[in-house]
Amino acid sequence: METGQLVQQLVKHEGASDGSVLRSNVGRISITREASQSFFSTLKNDFGFDHCSLISAVDNQTAFELVYHFSIVDATGQMLEVHIDLPRDTPTVDSITHLWGGADWHEREAYDLMGIYFIGHPDLKRVLLPDGFAGHPLRKDYVYEIHEEEW
Amino acid sequence: MAEMWIHMGPQHPMTHGLWNLRIKVNGETITDAVPELGYLHRSVEKIGERRKYFMNTTLTDRLCYASAMTWTHCYCLAAEELMGVVAPPRAQYIRTAVLELQRIASHLMWLGAYLPDLGLITGFLYGMRDREMFLNLLEIPSGGRLLYNYVKIGGVKRDLPPGFEAKAERVMQTLERRLKEYENLYDNSKIFRMRNDGVGVYSASDAINWGITGPNLRSAGVPFDLRQADSYDAYPELDFEPVTNTAAGGGSDCFSRYRQRIDEMHQSMDLVRQALAKMPEGRVMADSVPLRASGEAFRRTEDSRGEALMYLVGDGSDRPYRWKIRSPMFTTVSAAPHFLKGYKMADVPAIMGSLDMCIGETDK
Repeated sequence: METGQLVQQLVKHEGASDGSVLRSNVGRISITREASQSFFSTLKNDFGFDHCSLISAVDNQTAFELVYHFSIVDATGQMLEVHIDLPRDTPTVDSITHLWGGADWHEREAYDLMGIYFIGHPDLKRVLLPDGFAGHPLRKDYVYEIHEEEW
Repeated sequence: MAEMWIHMGPQHPMTHGLWNLRIKVNGETITDAVPELGYLHRSVEKIGERRKYFMNTTLTDRLCYASAMTWTHCYCLAAEELMGVVAPPRAQYIRTAVLELQRIASHLMWLGAYLPDLGLITGFLYGMRDREMFLNLLEIPSGGRLLYNYVKIGGVKRDLPPGFEAKAERVMQTLERRLKEYENLYDNSKIFRMRNDGVGVYSASDAINWGITGPNLRSAGVPFDLRQADSYDAYPELDFEPVTNTAAGGGSDCFSRYRQRIDEMHQSMDLVRQALAKMPEGRVMADSVPLRASGEAFRRTEDSRGEALMYLVGDGSDRPYRWKIRSPMFTTVSAAPHFLKGYKMADVPAIMGSLDMCIGETDK
């Protein structure tokens, strides 16, 4: 399926918007967090996206943004970038570990470094920083105890 | 028998870097495993947000000391995508050649680390001796032995000097001769086969679901190679097919992962020859590379260990607003408990060693 067609079909899903084509084999789409669970099930079961490449959390100061990169493991190298906006005071979203086992530690990392809570994750705890570490250091409002020097 | 937890790490001959594997054993049989990371976490992503785009290539080199070139290259591809820069054709061919040389060096490092895991100390010396030839080769254009800082946003640092092809050819012929010896030595060694055959088995569909990529996925018979599927640089113009291996009983085991990397070294040598032969003349840096960037972009590459992906968000300033790195081993290690269960404690070094761990990229 061509990326343009793929995005056109996906954007019809409830809660989906902003469909566009980034590269010949990469599509982009936004989804509300309420509709994310059924959207991701469709993505995996009906469109064959069998590999979760990466989950990135971005701190946009007014809100958080989750960026998912999904791909199909075949010679087409088809990819889809999915964006979800999360309000700053309640950064929670449904976990996708039951669909893609590889998402497990990506979600733990997003929790660890950015403080995003994944509902339904089997073992949501810190993965890179030690237990008992205070705060989430990749947030823009995290205060470092270092000298701010101009490089 | 009562079950108990045992810590293998953070200081353990099996770990190859600083990490901890907690295993739950019933007698000698593993019933559960929990990998623990973070001992080498340097927060590369956050440091990168405080430095200018072109400065970050020194950081990306340090993501993996065994495969510095491929990581810097992945960052530069993502930054080029963000800035709308395209490297000139000659630079793309040079990148392809040095990336494949780096892949061979990385796989030799793996071979040299894996064999002592199985008790074959001589294998370490063989692997390291041969890797040194490739480090010398990569030192010629870059000036660095392990951390090259050679690939730049918009091209490469400097051109290959005259005579590089001949030197590379001589080194590759030596390696080809020696790989034949090693294959005879290891493939026919009863002890080596007993430690490898049917150990650490996972199926292709499980591997895809767990996010395992690269040689560890291809060793389960999945012909998925990002050099072909999501091609970059000069790879579309080279003639190659993904190599795969399968375990005797289907899926991937330690032996098919060993075979996979040996086969990939042969393939890489072929790719280096093709890239050097087809290399066009011309500049090696783009005319102008902007300092500032806005928007978002990502690129993924076939790293020596699997799928590397870098996602960059720019806010119009000269530093990345957000920089996210996908490390292939981070995901692969997270899946390790699935295929450690049921094997003996003595199989742990073989199983974890056959995955080609690199803690620098895993902990970021």
